[in-house]
Amino acid sequence: MSILTVYLKAFLKSIQKLSKHPYFGFIVFGVVLLIVQLMNLSGLVTPTLMKTLILVMIYSIISLGFALLLGYAGLASLGTAGFVGLGTYFIGHFSGTLGYPFIVTLVISLIGAIVLGVIVGFISLRIEGLYLGIITLGLSEIMKEVFKSFSAFTNGVNGLSFRNFALFGQPVSDLTVNLLIIFVFIIMILATLNIIKSPTGRALLAMKNSDSAAQSMGISLLKYRLLAFVLATIYAVIAGILYMANQKFSIPTTWSLDFSLNILAAVIVGGAQSITGIILGTFMIFGLNLAILQNIPFFQNNPDAVWIINGLLIILVIMFYPGGLIRLFQAIKYSIISRYKKIKHAWRVYRYGEDD
Amino acid sequence: MAKMINRALLKYHISKLTTLNHQLSFLEAYLEIILNAKQTKKDKTLMEMKKRHSEILEPLMMKAGIHSDNVETKKQDLIDQINKKYHWHFKALSQSKKRAMKKQASSDKINHFADKEAKMHQKQEEALQSLALRYTKDENNIAMHQSNYEINKTKLEQKYLTKQTKLDQKFALDTIKIKKNYSDRIERIKKAIEDERPLLKKYAKGLESATEIPQDVILRLENLNMRFGGLLAVDNLSFDVKKGEIFGLIGPNGAGKTTIFNCITRFYRPTSGLMLFRKNPVEVIHLNDYPVHNIIKQGIVRTFQNVELIWELSILDNLLVAAHTTYRSGFFGQLLHMPKLKREEEVMRSKALGILETMGLLQYQYMIPYGLPYGILKKVELARTLMANPKLIILDEPAAGLNDLETENLAHIIKKIRDDYQATIFLVEHDMGLVMDICDTVCAISFGKMLAIGTPTEIQNNPLVRSAYLGEES
Repeated sequence: MSILTVYLKAFLKSIQKLSKHPYFGFIVFGVVLLIVQLMNLSGLVTPTLMKTLILVMIYSIISLGFALLLGYAGLASLGTAGFVGLGTYFIGHFSGTLGYPFIVTLVISLIGAIVLGVIVGFISLRIEGLYLGIITLGLSEIMKEVFKSFSAFTNGVNGLSFRNFALFGQPVSDLTVNLLIIFVFIIMILATLNIIKSPTGRALLAMKNSDSAAQSMGISLLKYRLLAFVLATIYAVIAGILYMANQKFSIPTTWSLDFSLNILAAVIVGGAQSITGIILGTFMIFGLNLAILQNIPFFQNNPDAVWIINGLLIILVIMFYPGGLIRLFQAIKYSIISRYKKIKHAWRVYRYGEDD
Repeated sequence: MAKMINRALLKYHISKLTTLNHQLSFLEAYLEIILNAKQTKKDKTLMEMKKRHSEILEPLMMKAGIHSDNVETKKQDLIDQINKKYHWHFKALSQSKKRAMKKQASSDKINHFADKEAKMHQKQEEALQSLALRYTKDENNIAMHQSNYEINKTKLEQKYLTKQTKLDQKFALDTIKIKKNYSDRIERIKKAIEDERPLLKKYAKGLESATEIPQDVILRLENLNMRFGGLLAVDNLSFDVKKGEIFGLIGPNGAGKTTIFNCITRFYRPTSGLMLFRKNPVEVIHLNDYPVHNIIKQGIVRTFQNVELIWELSILDNLLVAAHTTYRSGFFGQLLHMPKLKREEEVMRSKALGILETMGLLQYQYMIPYGLPYGILKKVELARTLMANPKLIILDEPAAGLNDLETENLAHIIKKIRDDYQATIFLVEHDMGLVMDICDTVCAISFGKMLAIGTPTEIQNNPLVRSAYLGEES
């Protein structure tokens, strides 16, 4: 018996040591998602919730890329939707219509993402702030129109469906796609974490804070602005590919301004510099409606009322927690700690009397 | 033609030598860090063991009647602990008695409290007595206790010694293993450096006389002009900054001092004129050929008039940003957090901590610069310049906004940096006390034109400078 407790203690100690690693929380999160996914098989989790979680994961990948751009490099972009749409059409056209292997499609998509990111990055060297947002918005709208009219590639306004997703020549079931999405999601989180905690992340933040300081410290604005845009585009294209693998259908009207604005809102609501915050914000904007509000009769009868909730959420967060919802949770944590201290003090006074 | 080829070869070998030197210093620094970590770990284990042993030995010592100050203080501590504990117990008791009185409880209950108090007094006495028993000389069996103590002491000392030798052996083995891992690489690099040196001399032979500026000059401005539209901010200015000196640039507001700095660090492109910088003993570069973010690689670092720090990063990370150009891992190494990046981060971190310590900023390392006093921020900016191994440090009004004490401290730090890092310092300053105190050479300008250059006393007595500062002389 005593040996068992010793082993248990050693195990707990090692867990405690591991939990200090920055990856730990996210890997546990991934395992929990995996368990939820497997519970779905046994019917314990409703299919709606599972669908929502998978969608939120895909959108979170976009948000992570966008947060690198907005929260770290300080560049505003409203062209996210176009890039995601491009990702969906890349896989839909090359793997679906033309039947290329997945790896080839992935390489083509990544090259496409890099080229597009470099183009937008070059634009960002000349134009900054709000105007960059307007330019990227225009770019996104152009891409949407191209998606509509370039039927050979996108099947036009009817939308492109994609049913023959295959990995290594084997057709893939829905469950495997979901597992793949969870895996890619966690990998993207860890990659983002690594970028943030490396010289590159510091260089991006330096660029956001002060152009002249960054330049005099040897940080090339050209290189890092291009890098930021290329990263954001790659994240968006990967998310597009996963979206197509999961939803099996893409239509140009999805990739319009409101999608970009929703991603922007998700990052702002969650907190642009915290990965947990970004995932939380994405869930708030995209997942809350599907997972929770749709069960309330009022929202079932008035589907557009969801937008009011979203708008209200944005206003409240920006008014009271400009750093994002993650700040709210920190505030709650601190208030709990201070409450605990107060209660402890009150008990002390009751038990021992006032201090002399 | 031959000269050109020679020059190209020289350039190549110099860059190779710099890379090798960088690798060497990196490896040596990393080796030191690993060995230090091992040493501290070993020391910690031994310390803990010693503490454990002394805890066992102390009561035995008391019993045997061997006097020791350590044990006396320990005993007093234990007595204090017991007293404190019972103090709180009594307080709680009196409080509950008070509450019972308030509720007008029966006399039985109040008597019960008195009983309890008496019992507690007894308990306290007992605890104190048992403690005293543990810590007093046992007269009856003193011989037995003494022998017992001796036996235990020798046993534990033996244990400690064996552990120590074991750890020492392990440490020595580890050291040899690690050193062997690194020494091959270090030797290889050292050999390569030795091989490079004669080549450098060979190629530099014909070129030494051909370099455009004298050996002791690190920066030369020749006929520098900077025009903003109709305004001539810098007007045909030429001067030399000598190696290892503190060079001050003074002038009234709007004289174009910061413009000159911005030209040197390539934030502005001068309208005309040459800026020559001695990168190393045999290579002189034209600063006009380099973009602004490459200037730091050539060995020129600057600070800013109004502090330009990264407000969202801690002070330590701010220093690491300045080391950006010294990182050798590529983007994918950073994406995957390869061991090479981890090693580099560790070396840079220890270097940054060293710099912070010499500046007296160690307690601010994890703080965000937002809200720190201005004097500290100025110091952080100065510390930041040192991360990139600079040859020329350009300070734009380092004493602006500092009080007298801080300025005095700053003068001391600037001199120290010049001596410790063999860097040349080029500064713009309005605080004449500071300039006249620390500068070796002072250059006075007004409306972009040179007024005078010379030692501080010469400048002080120069009529042109006086008239520029004080108005026309009557």
